[in-house]
Amino acid sequence: MTALVSFRDATLGYGRHAVLRGFNLDILDGDFLGIVGPNGSGKTTILKTFLGSLRPMGGTVTVAPGLRFGYVPQRDVVDTLFPLHVLEVVLMGRYDRIGLGRRPSATDRELARKALERVGISHLADRPLNALSGGQRQRTLIARALVGEPNVLVLDEPTNGMDLVATTQILGLVRDLHERTGLTVVMVSHALNEVANYVERIALVHEGGYVVGFVEEVMTQQALSAMYGIPVEVSSFEGHRIVLAKRQQTGEHRHA
Amino acid sequence: MLEAVLLFREALYGSLIIAVTCAVLGVYVVLRRIVFVGAALAQVSSAGIALAFWLAGHGIATALASHPEALSLAATLGSVMFFARPLRGPVPPDARIGVWYAVAAAAGILLIAKAAVGEAHDIFLEGNILGITNSDTLELLVVCTPVLVALFAFQKELLFTSFDRDTARTLGYHVDLWDLGFYLVLGVVISISMQFAGVLLVFNFLVLPAVTGLLLAGGMASTFVFSLGSALLAAMVGFALSIRFDLPTGPSMIAVSGALVILAWLVRRVQKRA
Repeated sequence: MTALVSFRDATLGYGRHAVLRGFNLDILDGDFLGIVGPNGSGKTTILKTFLGSLRPMGGTVTVAPGLRFGYVPQRDVVDTLFPLHVLEVVLMGRYDRIGLGRRPSATDRELARKALERVGISHLADRPLNALSGGQRQRTLIARALVGEPNVLVLDEPTNGMDLVATTQILGLVRDLHERTGLTVVMVSHALNEVANYVERIALVHEGGYVVGFVEEVMTQQALSAMYGIPVEVSSFEGHRIVLAKRQQTGEHRHA
Repeated sequence: MLEAVLLFREALYGSLIIAVTCAVLGVYVVLRRIVFVGAALAQVSSAGIALAFWLAGHGIATALASHPEALSLAATLGSVMFFARPLRGPVPPDARIGVWYAVAAAAGILLIAKAAVGEAHDIFLEGNILGITNSDTLELLVVCTPVLVALFAFQKELLFTSFDRDTARTLGYHVDLWDLGFYLVLGVVISISMQFAGVLLVFNFLVLPAVTGLLLAGGMASTFVFSLGSALLAAMVGFALSIRFDLPTGPSMIAVSGALVILAWLVRRVQKRA
C-alpha cells in the first residue's frame, strides 16, 4: 500500500514547545488508523500537522499531491448559535469546489442529500442543526466531510461526550464506511477501549513517546505497560478487547 | 411634520444607509461573538475624531477639523490589525478588548475636553445625524455600497470561516485573511458611520437588529431579512418620533430598536409555547 502521508523524524509542537520528537508514521492508502492518547499527548498536534494547520518544527511531513481530507472536527467546536439547517452545513463540504463568490448548484444539493443518506439521516436535511442530538450532529459533520469526496476521512474525538449507544453507532458507521468503500480513515481519540475495537492500526501516543502497529501488536500487556509505565491488563470479552489499569496498592492504602 | 421630514431628508437617507450596512455586518458580529470588538472599534473611531479636533484646535493640523474621519479611519484600521490577529498569552481576548475599549473611551473624553473646536462634544457623544448633507449621503453610499455587494458576494465564504474555522482551513481557506478582510470592512464602516451617527447609534445598529433577526428567524437568510427589516424600521420610526416629539434622533432610533428586540423576544416565547 502506498503512503498518503509520511512523517519522517518529525518534531511536532506549537511555537517553541515540542510535543513529539523523532516521530515516524505512514498513513497508508486504505488505512483505518486510530491515533490514541491522553489529553495533551500530541495526537491533535499530529492531526493538525498533516492537515496543514501546523508546520513541523523539524524533520519532514510529506502529503501525497492532490490528497483531499474530509475533516470532522470535535462536535462542540461547531457553534450552534448559527441558525443553519443540516443541508446547509453539509453543503459547506463542497464550498471549495463551488468556487469563490458562487452559489451551490442543484447538483451540489443532490450530492449533499446523498451524503446524508450515506450516514443515515437524510430525513433530517431541513432540520435546524441546533435541534439535533449529539449523535445526529456528528453524522451531519461526517456527511459534510464525505460530500467533498475526500481521499482520507479524518475524525477528531468523534465520540467525545456521547453515551454508549451513540458511541457504538458512530464508530460502527465509520467502520462501515471504511469497509464498504475502502476509504482511508484516521480517527483521533483519547478512548483506547473504544477505538481499539474498531480500527486496524493504532498509533499510541503518550508523554512524548509513541508506538505504532496493528491492533494485535499494540494491544498487549507488555506494550501497553511499557507505554503507560503502569501495569496494564488486556482482557477479551466476546471478541472485544478491554484495557484495564491494574489496581495499584499504595502504602497509604495498605495502612488504611 | 412632513415639512420637517423633507427638511431633514438627507439625515433620513444617511440613517438608512448606516442602518442597512450595520445590520448586515451585525449578523456576523453577533454570530462570531465579537460584539465587544464592535464596541471597542466604535470607541477607537470616536477617539480618532476627538484627536483630530484636539490637533486642529491646537493648530497642529487644522485641515483635520473638516476631515476628522481621516484620523478616525487610521485609528480604527490600526486597531483592526490588533483584533484580527490570533493572540496567545496569559490575558484572555475579551480582557484585551476591554483594555482597548476603556483606554480609547478615556482618551476620547480627555481629548474632547481639551478640544477648542465647536460642536465637538455633540459629535463625540451623539453624532450629528440631523446635520447629514447631500455630500455626506454620497460619501456613505460610496463606502457602504461596495461593502454590501462584497458581503453578499462572499456570503458563503464569510459564513464558513465564521462558523467552522478549522474545517474551512482544511479545505484551503485562508481563514486569517478572511478574518482580516472582515475586520477591515467592519472598521471602515464603523469609522465612516461614527462621524455622523455617534458611538451609541453605530453600536446599536451593529447589535440590536441582528439580535432581533436571530430571535425571529429560523435560518440564515431570514436572519438577514429580519435584521435588515428591524434596522430600517427602527431608523424610520425613530426618525419620525424624534421630529414629532422633538427628541434626540439617535437615542430615539435606539429606543425603537430596543422595543423591537423585546417584541421579538415575546414572539419567540409565544412560538415556543404554541
